[in-house]
Amino acid sequence: MLAAAVLRAEDVSFVLVGSAALWLRGEPVAIGDADAVIEPGDRNARRLRAALARMAYRPQEIPEARSFVRVPLVSVITSYGQVDCLLERGRADWQRLGEAATVIAVADVGVLVADAADAWALRRQFKE
Amino acid sequence: MSERSGLGLVEAAIVAALDSLGGRADRRHIRNARVLAAVEERIGLAPGYGYEVLLDLARPWIMPVRLVDGQGNYGDRRGDPAASFRYTESRLSPAGEVALAAERGELAPVPIGLINGNTHRQGTRPPFRPEGIIGAVREVIRRPKVTGNELISIIGPPDFPTGCTVTGDLAALAAGRPTVLRLQARVTVGTDHRSVTVEGLPPNVNRGDVLASLAARAERRDWAVRFPDLDRTTRLPLADVQDTAREDTDRFVCIPEPGTAPDSLRDQLMDVHGIWATVPVALPRPLPALVRQWVRAYVSEDLLTSLARLADAVARQL
Repeated sequence: MLAAAVLRAEDVSFVLVGSAALWLRGEPVAIGDADAVIEPGDRNARRLRAALARMAYRPQEIPEARSFVRVPLVSVITSYGQVDCLLERGRADWQRLGEAATVIAVADVGVLVADAADAWALRRQFKE
Repeated sequence: MSERSGLGLVEAAIVAALDSLGGRADRRHIRNARVLAAVEERIGLAPGYGYEVLLDLARPWIMPVRLVDGQGNYGDRRGDPAASFRYTESRLSPAGEVALAAERGELAPVPIGLINGNTHRQGTRPPFRPEGIIGAVREVIRRPKVTGNELISIIGPPDFPTGCTVTGDLAALAAGRPTVLRLQARVTVGTDHRSVTVEGLPPNVNRGDVLASLAARAERRDWAVRFPDLDRTTRLPLADVQDTAREDTDRFVCIPEPGTAPDSLRDQLMDVHGIWATVPVALPRPLPALVRQWVRAYVSEDLLTSLARLADAVARQL
């Protein structure tokens, strides 16, 4: 949860999905990692790369921002837990997910959180 | 995996290769390049792959029952890699000799597989205390009608070799249901009430990563003024971190910033990933059934002698 707030504080644009989103929506799930659907675009990719480099246990293992347009996801272990940045999902679905998402405060940071139906649908898709 | 010894194919090939080269527990160490060449000859495994397994067999922070006694740089908990196999040596440990004898049928089977588990190889079977598993097997032999709850109590919870604490749905694990365990370092306020000591990190994280991460979390972020709540929640009030580890153990001392109570720093440290970690676990069947099944399979052999040999070998590695 805090990973998502820190990512947002670092000015990365994303929609939180997965167990953290469902938990914030009041659903009875245990929080695992933070799954973030990343807004496509060069500027956001550079911000994401810089933020992950500050958060990760092993910054040297984070790929260059320019590779983000090709890879499906970037998974990083941080001191806040694991963060999965869903880049391919962002390229495919950013507009639709973003329109249905709403802002929820985590600490004093507003995090864009997917609608519960979208979060469940994505969860089923990834788990099946 | 061989049920007689609990060894996997590569592990069995390594202990057999060591034996064939004269690397017994009371003899000289053998250069690992030679050991891996012998393994390649036996099962066709390239040295690079075999070396990873060989290293783990000797690493005290990976294996509760070590099958290999290593000499030279086998890497460390700080994340330093091992030296090349051209510069390291090994020989069988006392437990390795027992496992090899069991594998060859010279000794009744030993439950090393039940003790070591396989979570160190991304499996889902956690390790248990050697004394717990050996005690449970003895109890089933002595008293076949011993209850499942009694066996679970004798075995105790999973026991990872770094000494981290284990919490979670242990009843689900014992019943053979998949669950997720939380592994947590021991975080205590020093007797001087001026510091916080962290010991026994989870085995699947390395100390170097955690130390670097703590240092990063102590820095003030650009967004600290815009998001004071987040800053308060995430920034660690740390003045210094001293790595005081010895040999293969994890230990470091955290000094709080002036004005920060050590209790408060301890609570924040407990939430830092790396000081805790999770591991998914699942046993193929309920734990008492696993022990009973193992005993039933070999009840015609002299299990009490092999258990005594294993217990003695484990005591000698401590």
